Amino acid sequence: MTRMYHRLPVDAYTSQDWFEREQRQVFSRTWRYAGLAEDVPEPGHFVSIQAGLNNIFIVMGRDHRLRAFHNICRHRGTQLIRAVGKTQKALTCPYHDWTYDLEGNLISIPDEAKEYPNGVDKSCLGLKPASVDIWRGMLFVHPDPNPPSLVEWFGAVDPLLGPHKPEELVEYPDARQSYEIKANWKIVVENYIDVYHLSHLHSNTLHMYDHARAEYGWKGPHYHFWEPPAPDYAKDLEKNLPTPRAIPEPHIGAWVPMLFPGIGLGAGEDSWNIFIITPLGPDLTRVENRTKLANASGWEFQKQEWSSWSFWKDFGGPKYPDSDAISEDDPMASGDFTAEDIYACEQQQKSLTSPYFEVGPAANGESPVVRHQQAILDFLETQEAGT
Amino acid sequence: MNPDFFSLKVSEIRPEIKGKATSVTFDTPTNLAETFCWQAGQHVTLRFHFNEKEQRRSYTISNPPGAPLRITVKRVAGGLVSNHIGDHLKPGDMVDVMPPFGQFSLTPDPLKRRTHYFFGAGSGITPLFAMINAVLKEETHSVAHLIYGNADGESTIFGKELDKLKIEHAARFTLRHVLSAPSLWSWISPWRKGRVDAEAIKIAVTETPPVAQDVQYWICGPGAMNKDVSNALMALDVPANRIHMESFGGATMTASSVTGIAAKAQVNLGGSTYEVPVSADQTLLNAILAAGLTPPFSCQSGVCGACKARLTKGQVHMHARMALEDSDVTRGEILSCQSVATSDELSISFDN
Repeated sequence: MTRMYHRLPVDAYTSQDWFEREQRQVFSRTWRYAGLAEDVPEPGHFVSIQAGLNNIFIVMGRDHRLRAFHNICRHRGTQLIRAVGKTQKALTCPYHDWTYDLEGNLISIPDEAKEYPNGVDKSCLGLKPASVDIWRGMLFVHPDPNPPSLVEWFGAVDPLLGPHKPEELVEYPDARQSYEIKANWKIVVENYIDVYHLSHLHSNTLHMYDHARAEYGWKGPHYHFWEPPAPDYAKDLEKNLPTPRAIPEPHIGAWVPMLFPGIGLGAGEDSWNIFIITPLGPDLTRVENRTKLANASGWEFQKQEWSSWSFWKDFGGPKYPDSDAISEDDPMASGDFTAEDIYACEQQQKSLTSPYFEVGPAANGESPVVRHQQAILDFLETQEAGT
Repeated sequence: MNPDFFSLKVSEIRPEIKGKATSVTFDTPTNLAETFCWQAGQHVTLRFHFNEKEQRRSYTISNPPGAPLRITVKRVAGGLVSNHIGDHLKPGDMVDVMPPFGQFSLTPDPLKRRTHYFFGAGSGITPLFAMINAVLKEETHSVAHLIYGNADGESTIFGKELDKLKIEHAARFTLRHVLSAPSLWSWISPWRKGRVDAEAIKIAVTETPPVAQDVQYWICGPGAMNKDVSNALMALDVPANRIHMESFGGATMTASSVTGIAAKAQVNLGGSTYEVPVSADQTLLNAILAAGLTPPFSCQSGVCGACKARLTKGQVHMHARMALEDSDVTRGEILSCQSVATSDELSISFDN
């Protein structure tokens, strides 16, 4: 009998088959986060992004419109471009110098007459088009040149994501990081959307917000979540915010949605953060974080730091007191909610291969965990019905 | 397309830009509501009789779909119909109107998320105004940027209405006035002086680059403007299939690269016969107009059919022939505004 972990078989979290199936049917079939809009700031700039099985690059044309293509030379398939860069008018494959213009047309083949004496129809060898769009200041790519629009995909959940205008905020580069978690990507998602754990795992790190008054739900496969500041924090909120406001008054609270698949946002009164979850293997996941703050002067930041100091100086601390810590770098004594989450995910993944693993009943605050599993099943069903 | 005329009652006449243009609103009876459905950007043909002579003109509907049927007619110096509308038409009058048609149309889609750039000048604003309204009302995830050329504030059609849209839809609509001869005391402060040219286009696109990446460009202006704007866009690598345009008055814009040959045309018009020389780069209509004759014509883009004639000898090439059915072409009908000569002797007749 298949061992189940709520709606999904435990295999879905441990097997190579499930990993490949999700890569093929989920991460290669959806709109995928590809960076912030400012990563491609001017005509000629480009970036490439791995989106499931597809490597897609985005380049800005002189009309300031973005184009997306599959990063595959039409000759022998070599990846055309690396990471990020800037070009004037053309992209050349390093292997045999086949060259494409920014519309994806193949414009030159070296030694064409000699190498292809019977001729070659360059017009049939343009780069394969993909799609790109910008939404809430983020780049998204889709492998299909005619995909459902972002309105169809995110439209219903959009009004529930907070009043932030990320395109008007500025990135705080020190907060940009990427790290790996030794757990299946769904474990990481489930941790992100588990409302029950907020008051427990993070009993001493996230209590400036009032988890008991959280409002959350689903729009299709996308999860939305909002919670108000806790009374202590709210009492003098404008003074207590650690950095200047990123959204206007009277908006308050934390918006922490998880868009499908694995696109986490976390936004409060004074910041906007992204939490991008990418599966690397059945039990290995990469998380990328970027943060944007108010477009305010250094002086404004300094003033806010001073005014909020008295609230934060005694705030938080380790979940376990020092005496219970097993070592100096024990995440449970770190006082850092990210370290707490990573620890919980990895500890959970370890048990999934045990023959004695048996999942316990899901709590009310864990209903999003079960619902996310269903979202995966539903998405797979739709995709596999179509193939 | 329904080629019949229907008699519609004028419900409102409103002078625009101090009487230099006129907005005419029609009552559409319930039983004709479906017949008179339109897409933003389409036009209607009006028919008048002056001294027992029929005059047809096509005018763009300047309201978005769902609003009352309204056209906005700018006076043409010496223009028979535009001045009649401006001087004599009044509420309660009946006018023959052919149902809406036209290929230059924008169908708003609430599930689309697009960036629309509109480039207009003069009365070319009329279809764009309907389109902008349709986008703001029906395509709520899309944005619209208008770059609008005029001589001065006083000749700017829909200036106040556009200002209102800008306030109501601040996050989704930007408005740039380009004035060639701005007066000092005008209520409109231009974004730039001059024309809607390559430089203006480049700066506008850089100032408000597309966020939604399904980008569409809509151009409607007189004469050379369409070609200038589309050339400027193509110089920025805008793909041709994203550019939509319609010519308003002045020289004809042709998308086709086919050129004609010099010819001699025998033209039957109003019961008389004239010899008209046609040069290689001239349409028959322009050649006939250049000869001082007054053939019927209207849209000059091949969609209204007003300039229809019958070819009885020789051959022509038509750049566009939307107003003609295949059977019309078989019978020898041509659109004189779209025809260039491809044989050196032609005979055509505008008379039935």
